[in-house]
Amino acid sequence: MNATESPLGLLVRVNALSAWRRVLGLRQQSRLLVAVIGGFLVGYLAFAFLLFRLGLAFIGRFPGLGSLLVERLLFLLFAFLFGLLLLSNLVICYTNFFRNRETAFLITAPVPISAVFQWKCIESTLLASWAFLFLIAPLLAAYGQLNRVPWHFYPATLGLVLLFVVLPGIGGAALAIFVARWLDRRAFQIAAVTGVAVVLALLAFHLRPEPASDEVLEARVQSVIDRLLVNTGFAQSPLLPSYWLSACVLNLAEGAVKAAGFYALVLLSHVLFLGRLALIGLGGPFYGAANTVQSRASAFSRWGWWQRLEARNLSTAAEIRRLWLAPAGPGESCGAAAHFGPVDRLDRVLRWAGLATDVRALVAKDLRVFWRDTTQWGQTVLLFGLLAVYILNLRHFTRQLDSAFWIGLVSYLNLAACALNVATITTRFVFPQFSLEGRRVWLVGLAPLGLVRVVLLKFWLAGATSLCLTLGLTLMSGHLLGLEWQRQLYFGVAVTVMTFTLNAIAVGLGAIHPNFRETNPSKIVSGFGGTFCLVLSFFYILASVIALAMGSPWGWRGEETGPVKPMVGWAVFVLLSVLSGWVPLRIGLRRVATTEL
Amino acid sequence: MIELEDLAKHFGDVKAVDGITLTVPKGEFFCVLGPNAAGKTTTIKLMVGLIRPDRGAARVAGYDIQAQPLEARARLAYVPDFPFLYDKLTPWEFLRFTGQLFRMPDRRIEEVASDLVPRFNLEPWLHKPIESLSHGTRQRVAIASALLHDPEVFVIDEPMVGLDPHHARVVKDTLRERARRGMTVFLSTHQTSVAQELADRVGIIHRGKLVAVGTAAELHARAGTDGALERAFLAITEGEQETVPETVG
Repeated sequence: MNATESPLGLLVRVNALSAWRRVLGLRQQSRLLVAVIGGFLVGYLAFAFLLFRLGLAFIGRFPGLGSLLVERLLFLLFAFLFGLLLLSNLVICYTNFFRNRETAFLITAPVPISAVFQWKCIESTLLASWAFLFLIAPLLAAYGQLNRVPWHFYPATLGLVLLFVVLPGIGGAALAIFVARWLDRRAFQIAAVTGVAVVLALLAFHLRPEPASDEVLEARVQSVIDRLLVNTGFAQSPLLPSYWLSACVLNLAEGAVKAAGFYALVLLSHVLFLGRLALIGLGGPFYGAANTVQSRASAFSRWGWWQRLEARNLSTAAEIRRLWLAPAGPGESCGAAAHFGPVDRLDRVLRWAGLATDVRALVAKDLRVFWRDTTQWGQTVLLFGLLAVYILNLRHFTRQLDSAFWIGLVSYLNLAACALNVATITTRFVFPQFSLEGRRVWLVGLAPLGLVRVVLLKFWLAGATSLCLTLGLTLMSGHLLGLEWQRQLYFGVAVTVMTFTLNAIAVGLGAIHPNFRETNPSKIVSGFGGTFCLVLSFFYILASVIALAMGSPWGWRGEETGPVKPMVGWAVFVLLSVLSGWVPLRIGLRRVATTEL
Repeated sequence: MIELEDLAKHFGDVKAVDGITLTVPKGEFFCVLGPNAAGKTTTIKLMVGLIRPDRGAARVAGYDIQAQPLEARARLAYVPDFPFLYDKLTPWEFLRFTGQLFRMPDRRIEEVASDLVPRFNLEPWLHKPIESLSHGTRQRVAIASALLHDPEVFVIDEPMVGLDPHHARVVKDTLRERARRGMTVFLSTHQTSVAQELADRVGIIHRGKLVAVGTAAELHARAGTDGALERAFLAITEGEQETVPETVG
């Protein structure tokens, strides 16, 4: 480092050094765990490569239309990934620009505001895009291998993908500045959720399944494929950056170097033009937006309808206090004391159920924190919303799902999908709970309730809450598949056990691998313990669903099965659940009892 | 020097800073006192350019912090109550990084650091990751790195939080010594004893307004009190409580 280095270069260098040291920090972790996680990552790449290869080969064999369908799939995939990247960049840029202590530190240093913006933009794009690269690498490798592409396809594609991720990065940064400047945080949250809902609704309408009779499927395949291609034609709009990337990759694979070069240059010119425009032109608006975010009062206080709702809540609270709790005291006039919301209503129910005051207080606190953290409920709604949309769409296919094999397969896959969603949520939100609570040990940890019971309570609360979603979706899936009540009960019990096991993994490992220094839950999760939690959860789900499916009491070809196979399957499932869930939870609770905070 | 001219900032309906005008000349040690949510931190944020004022202007060493931010910041050092440090760097790397942000040559950084490091007793931790340091040690790293480029204006928010008496003494002595050499110090604190001990002049901010400015003796004279500065502070802020209409939510 030297004094003449540009501020941007200095920031990149210092942050790269910090990131490298985080990687080196892995040496302090258990070798076994590092090997397990490393093995999982390599295993994912290999498994995904294999699946993509099989899938692409299967589609490619479609008579007369194979290559067309594969092409369309690539266009669609990149178009959707572009949309997801844009959303991901918007969220990460907003947090990284306006809720970040490094930004505040740099704004007071003699660093040009454009350099601060440039660094934050680069950092956000990297944070938002690495998973994208990880996701598509096996797909492109499989596509390349099937098409026997020359070696230069792979480095060229890597370069193109790196260029491509710049565009949603710039778009996300510009959008983040726009929403920060013009939308209040809560208004932004509402607008974002509404926007996602509208997009989902539009997609659901545009891509709605069209019921097709067996006759149509057999006799008019061409017509069905035509409609499929028409409905997905939007992905081939030449105005979409994903189109340039897809066209370039496809041409490159076919050896049409000139056409590939044309699309690569289109991509490059847009990256250079928009990148230059953003990096030199958005520094000022970035500072203005940061100032606006810091200067803003709550939008709720400006909205008449909200104030009326608040007033109604206050009067309800006063009425309830008068009738049920206590006569009006001096605190009655205080808005905060008199506020009576849905959590207070639940608290009343729990009180009647006989729960102790401290337990109810903790439940109310956790529910309020969940509700006020848009990230938590937003991601939960998105994940389970998408799953619900998929399960609801099953009704369109039930005519085709008439064989025992397909019904069995879909019901077990639905069980796995539900469990995978729970695993994502528990790792992201339940795992960091103990670390965050440890920081508040002066209050919660030293309360008469005791930290062990606090952790146990979190386990039951998270388990019960997630069970509402998983059990509901599983029963809905069973109903739409037309399963008899015995099968519904079977899957209901299985998903209940899996939900509590996954929560036990997250709570237990969260207590075994706490991080009391970090205040940001997403950073706690991205550490070693969080990654291990996710890996263990995935292995557990995979092994459990295989065990249950292999021991299915309903034969895969409609045949009768004896009692031995189901019993063995369930024995393996229960054993897996105990080993994966109960053991970490037990060790975690012991650790909590003896931990020095 | 620091010049605040009719500085105002609102957060919605709340007047956080309400027309503050103040000049702190070069080399003065100025302490600002005020109850919680009085507007001290907002005033500092306006002064260092973290937020824009709704009205008025802040000048640091003769430069408007909004119109000429780079010139102003090059002469300014700011240590917030919870300073940001890169956890994965060592204190020595952080000092070098800060010096380089201020365009100091490496040799000059080493020269100044060789004075600051022993003074703040940082040698034992100089090459250990910042994430492993205690709150007090991190605070000392932040203060030392802020002093590295020899700022003309030093703004610090609650500097004594987390410092043991020995290191609190070191910080006080260092800031006093720098002030004697011409550095303007603007210190925000709740501790009236710190203000009484160190400040050439004290300002009291209450409900977004600068309600009193002067030496300890002048504040006592105005409040009709004597002895500890705390008495004058309480008398002035309680008096304002009765006379100033409700503006802060």
